[in-house]
Amino acid sequence: MSIAALVSGRTLRGAAGLLTFIALWEIFARSGIFPRSLTPSIVSIAISTYYLVIDGDIFLHILFTFGRVIVGLAIACAIGVPLGFAMGRSKTVATIFEPALSVLMPIPSLAWIPLFILFLGLGNVTTILVVVYAAVFPMLYNVWRGVQTVNPVWLRAGLSMGSSPRTMFWRIVLPASLPFIITGLRTAYGRAWMAVIGGELLAGTDWGLGRLIFEAKEWLSTGVMMGTIAIIGLIALLTERVIFEMIDRRTVVRWGMVRASE
Amino acid sequence: MRDKVKHLALSLSTFIVAAAVWEIAVASGRFPHALLPDLRTVTEKFFALVGSGILIWTTLGTILRLLIGFLIGGVVGVVAGLLMGRYRWVEDFLLPAVSIGYPIPALAYAPLFVLWFGLGNTPSVLLVAVASAFQITINTWKGVTAVKPIWLRSAEAMGASEKKIFYSVVLPASLPYTMTGLRLGLGAAWRVLVGVEMITAVANGLGSLIFAAKQFLQTDVMLSGIIIIGLIGYLLEKYVFSAIERATVVRWGMVRL
Repeated sequence: MSIAALVSGRTLRGAAGLLTFIALWEIFARSGIFPRSLTPSIVSIAISTYYLVIDGDIFLHILFTFGRVIVGLAIACAIGVPLGFAMGRSKTVATIFEPALSVLMPIPSLAWIPLFILFLGLGNVTTILVVVYAAVFPMLYNVWRGVQTVNPVWLRAGLSMGSSPRTMFWRIVLPASLPFIITGLRTAYGRAWMAVIGGELLAGTDWGLGRLIFEAKEWLSTGVMMGTIAIIGLIALLTERVIFEMIDRRTVVRWGMVRASE
Repeated sequence: MRDKVKHLALSLSTFIVAAAVWEIAVASGRFPHALLPDLRTVTEKFFALVGSGILIWTTLGTILRLLIGFLIGGVVGVVAGLLMGRYRWVEDFLLPAVSIGYPIPALAYAPLFVLWFGLGNTPSVLLVAVASAFQITINTWKGVTAVKPIWLRSAEAMGASEKKIFYSVVLPASLPYTMTGLRLGLGAAWRVLVGVEMITAVANGLGSLIFAAKQFLQTDVMLSGIIIIGLIGYLLEKYVFSAIERATVVRWGMVRL
């Protein structure tokens, strides 16, 4: 980006917007509506965040939270993707699983936390299970819909040219339903973050960003809490921008199936 | 006829298998009865809780919190989205803040809100509002920017006032997106509310009901709460929004359902 573009009106107004919010926060923080210890100033938030980073523990917290998201997402994909394909390709499989799906899907993953705690105790297993529950339905549902919307002309063309079921799957069904699968993965990723924070708040033991926020609350360290929230936002934004836009570019955009969003 | 029977059998198969596995697990005696009650106990408890009114009051409390929070989030989101879509400088001004706030799970704010507003209704309702506002803002904004320029130009050419353009062109044309935003926002609000209720320990809430039931090892109460939660979620998705959509955007022929 050139310097001219950087100082263009757009960027300036964006920066002004952010600065306004920061200024509003600062006024609110100093107003005394809440006790000062509950509304730290920007400087003390920055200092808390700096110590979090310098201390190094934050990276372990991030690693644990991120690890739970990835493991949960992987398990959700391992269940959701094959089942979604099976449901999309076979009417019988769809009839079997659709009722269970419509019963389980509307239950928020967080509602299961107390029950999981009772059976599995606090800690990793419960948290990851909550993430799996949150992520599996968007994955499954989107794969299923994606397979259903594969253009039947393509399927017939493939069949009449004598493709084996394997070729049909790899060359037609999979690429054609990929935009839906990626949408599913994106939604699942967002829900997984929400679930992991909830799981760590309610069932966490020692490591994790949710746990960090929860423990900071006990010590009234609002600076640490807000710093951690900012870090969560930063990670979520970066992963969304970097990972998913790369996946989009490498697959569906390159194949000309959707146009790149600017 | 045979097809219908087969369809019904297949549809029910997962429930039958799940119930059988459940009863076998109960019969095996590996789990204490309080932890894993048999299905009859759960059913009886469910009706006892409904009959005594406890479940009805907690459900009402939860729905009320959802609606008030969603209303606040909806108003903020739609207004912010419309302004962002209509005025370039508002868009430039708000977009960075919205894009940073959007991916943060609302639940991360929960402990902070508890410190500020105490336990109870206020933080729960506000968190629901936060959870829904971002989705609604972004979708409304996209909707306004997706209004066909030719419609705007023709309205202008026919001498429509700014107000007239807004109400007769921009608002209806962006409504399908806004509806999508409202639907996603309500979903987000619903997903966060149960967890929030656990953290804020509200007096009448399904989340706090099942969380409290954990302390007393009342699996039957927890499952009764989860059944109601699933039911509300199902009804929200199935009826509330498709009804609104049918009454507006589908009727105007803007999208097919």
